[in-house]
Amino acid sequence: MTSQTKAELDAFRDEVAAFLDTAPTDAIREAGRKTTSAFPPFEQAVAWQVILNEKGWAAPDWPEEYGGTGWSGAQRTIFEEEYRKRDLPPLLPNSLKMVGPLLIDLGTEEQKAKYLPRILSGEDYWTQGYSEPNSGSDLASLKCSAVADGEDYIINGSKIWTTFAHKSNRMFMLVRTSAEGKKQQGITFLLLDRTDFPGMDIRPIRGLDGNAEFCEVFFDNVRVPQSGRVGAENEGWSVAKHLLKHERNGSSNSPVLVRYLQRITESAREEMSPFGGRLSDDPVFQRDLGALHADVTTLAHFERLIMGGHEMANDPALPSVAKTMTTELTQRVSLMMTRIAGLEGLSLQLDALTVGSGVDPMGSELDLIAMPFYLNSRATTIYAGTNEIQRDLIARSLQVA
Amino acid sequence: MDISQTDEQKMLQDSVTRLLERSYDFEARQKLLASGQPWSPDTWQSLAEMGILGLPISEESGGFGGSMADIVSIAEPFGAHLLIEPFVSSILLGGQCLAHGEGPAAEAQLARILTGEQTAAFAHEEGRGTADPALVSLAASESDGGFTLNGEKRMVLGGAQADVLVVSARARGAAPAKDGLSVFMVDPDQKGVRIKPFVTIDGRHAAHITFDGVRIPAARRIVAEGYDVLEQVISKAIIALCAEAVGAMGALLRLTGEYASTRKQFGTPIAAFQTISHRLADMKIAYVKARSNLLYTTALKDAGHASPLDVSVLKGQIGTLGRQIGEAAIQTHGGVGMTDEISIGHFHKRILAINALFGDSEYHFRAVGQSLASS
Ligand SMILES: Cc1cc2nc3c(=O)[nH]c(=O)nc-3n(C[C@H](O)[C@H](O)[C@H](O)COP(=O)(O)OP(=O)(O)OC[C@H]3O[C@@H](n4cnc5c(N)ncnc54)[C@H](O)[C@@H]3O)c2cc1C
Repeated sequence: MTSQTKAELDAFRDEVAAFLDTAPTDAIREAGRKTTSAFPPFEQAVAWQVILNEKGWAAPDWPEEYGGTGWSGAQRTIFEEEYRKRDLPPLLPNSLKMVGPLLIDLGTEEQKAKYLPRILSGEDYWTQGYSEPNSGSDLASLKCSAVADGEDYIINGSKIWTTFAHKSNRMFMLVRTSAEGKKQQGITFLLLDRTDFPGMDIRPIRGLDGNAEFCEVFFDNVRVPQSGRVGAENEGWSVAKHLLKHERNGSSNSPVLVRYLQRITESAREEMSPFGGRLSDDPVFQRDLGALHADVTTLAHFERLIMGGHEMANDPALPSVAKTMTTELTQRVSLMMTRIAGLEGLSLQLDALTVGSGVDPMGSELDLIAMPFYLNSRATTIYAGTNEIQRDLIARSLQVA
Repeated sequence: MDISQTDEQKMLQDSVTRLLERSYDFEARQKLLASGQPWSPDTWQSLAEMGILGLPISEESGGFGGSMADIVSIAEPFGAHLLIEPFVSSILLGGQCLAHGEGPAAEAQLARILTGEQTAAFAHEEGRGTADPALVSLAASESDGGFTLNGEKRMVLGGAQADVLVVSARARGAAPAKDGLSVFMVDPDQKGVRIKPFVTIDGRHAAHITFDGVRIPAARRIVAEGYDVLEQVISKAIIALCAEAVGAMGALLRLTGEYASTRKQFGTPIAAFQTISHRLADMKIAYVKARSNLLYTTALKDAGHASPLDVSVLKGQIGTLGRQIGEAAIQTHGGVGMTDEISIGHFHKRILAINALFGDSEYHFRAVGQSLASS
């Protein structure tokens, strides 16, 4: 399956382990343990990216010439496993997994030179401005408009659910540049060098877990240079579709779920069962844990096949299959976590969840993250294309003409 | 067995609904939460004046002797409006224990609770869900004509605001055991009582409370052998909580149906997509199941036939069906369903909290299965 010997891979694992044991600061580790979303605590995730980038490990899956590591699938899996074992925070996805790979594929040389190094270094953070209040699943109906004016575009309209817009300094967005023809035809893909252009206004929105992770962004005659366009005018839809491949392909999600199951099991060993003994002795818990473990293991097997370049990876429905499988399993794991936390999951502990607050959780750390994680993970079946839309795509791939 | 709502119940329900529609819409409720007040004194006073605080309490204890069906009639609109007032904690739990209590102290205290001028809190939970009173282990050791309390209670609803704590404790033996449980009235200001207040995901004020060598005179032990009282009090509270959950489920069903009919994507209301319409249908089916369970169990209770098994079936079903409805409502709303700015998520969080109180659905289903298998 791989060209590396077991000894080489073992040595690699040792190197990764040694680095991950020493490089992250305490705040970064705390952020990792308190991550309750696909989006980790912002400041610590950026700090961690800076450290990883100095080591050359910020973007393992990028091509080597742009700063990738050139690791084999087996090495990447090892890295993920060692990473998760230590509860380190994931890196913020938008720049490294979305706009970066997109620019590598479709950006001009100038755009690559300008943006890629700052994406790797963590200096820039990109927010994704696609969705609008009336255009979610039907994204192509978007209305936020850009009208050419000399060297610039003038943008009017709004975007919503823009994750971390209030923390970002750049935005990639879709705008309407033409109302002619099919709705997909008049869309343009733009890079915005700032998120504080005159006329731009960002309103954070509180989520179910009590945190403001996403925002609404208003544009009132915002003037931006046309040089920020990726691809041709009115051809932004195909650019966006290209990017979507990167977004949905994701990477390996099973290691984090494996780790969550371990944390669940550790807690169950501490906890009394209302039926006597420890919760970990309870046959019902054991059965449910077993069923979850089976599904997480299945996901891990699947991900290894894909990473190893199995032909299954060429299936056009694969991104949708992976997205559906992963998100629904994540929700089940999060539900199991709330079951373990029980009543202790009901207290709202935003202070204790804030990295560096110095406020101790009232129960265990698992009790602290269980409910925010469960509530936040309801979003996984909504964002990046709802699971209803994914199932449509999967079904479409099976229909014969 | 009477299973239809009486005219009086209908009137009671309508007048509660009118009060809440007038003064307790979602905006008003959110403003109340944001103010940091644990509940609205005005609303609490209105409920007292309507006779609702005395409804669950027997006439000989100074209440109105309402039936379970009466309580359910008002608890459903409470749930549909996400009422945060301490009806369950101060009346159904604390108040009911006081009503079962012996001695003039309990009687006088209850009178102050029923007028709404004071509140009680029920300090009972000890872990992640103390589903069965037999599991209570907070120690009450008897000496010198009194008791000394040592231990911890978790998630005491209204615990930091209460004028009196009604505490379940073990005077004899070791958990799990039905024998040896007593109920005490404790002054929260007393030496050795440490209160750690917090807010819950469903907007309630609660507290973890530690009892560190708290001395209680014998006269403030209001129930000496308390298992049956606790079981009765809790089963009534469970049914009322389930009624609140069903009220919340009904609201979710209505709001989600409305949203799916008006939200357009791809040029049509999303309700036109079969996956959405079938999900709405499943929500409706779940709601009918939940409400049937609630109303029939309520009637059983009033007829004196509701066994612990019946109550467990209800609690287990409500937890599971409620979560199903809540999750479906969020998913159908898409991005806006993930915000705290609309009511959908708040209904779901209320349902989740109700599920976790007094044993979650996993606990109750297993308890039912265990009891069936061993009988
Ligand atoms: C936490 C979170 C973070 C997000 N981050 C970002 C971000 O950074 N940038 C960004 O641009 N967007 C972001 N989004 C937005 C996300 O992409 C949209 O929420 C998503 O596309 C769904 O759109 P909507 O919310 O308008 O729901 P709608 O499209 O209105 O969908 C409502 C319901 O109808 C269903 N539905 C719609 N059409 C169909 C159909 N044809 N068949 C069957 N069912 C259908 C949906 O599946 C859903 O259940 C985020 C969303 C969330 C929840």
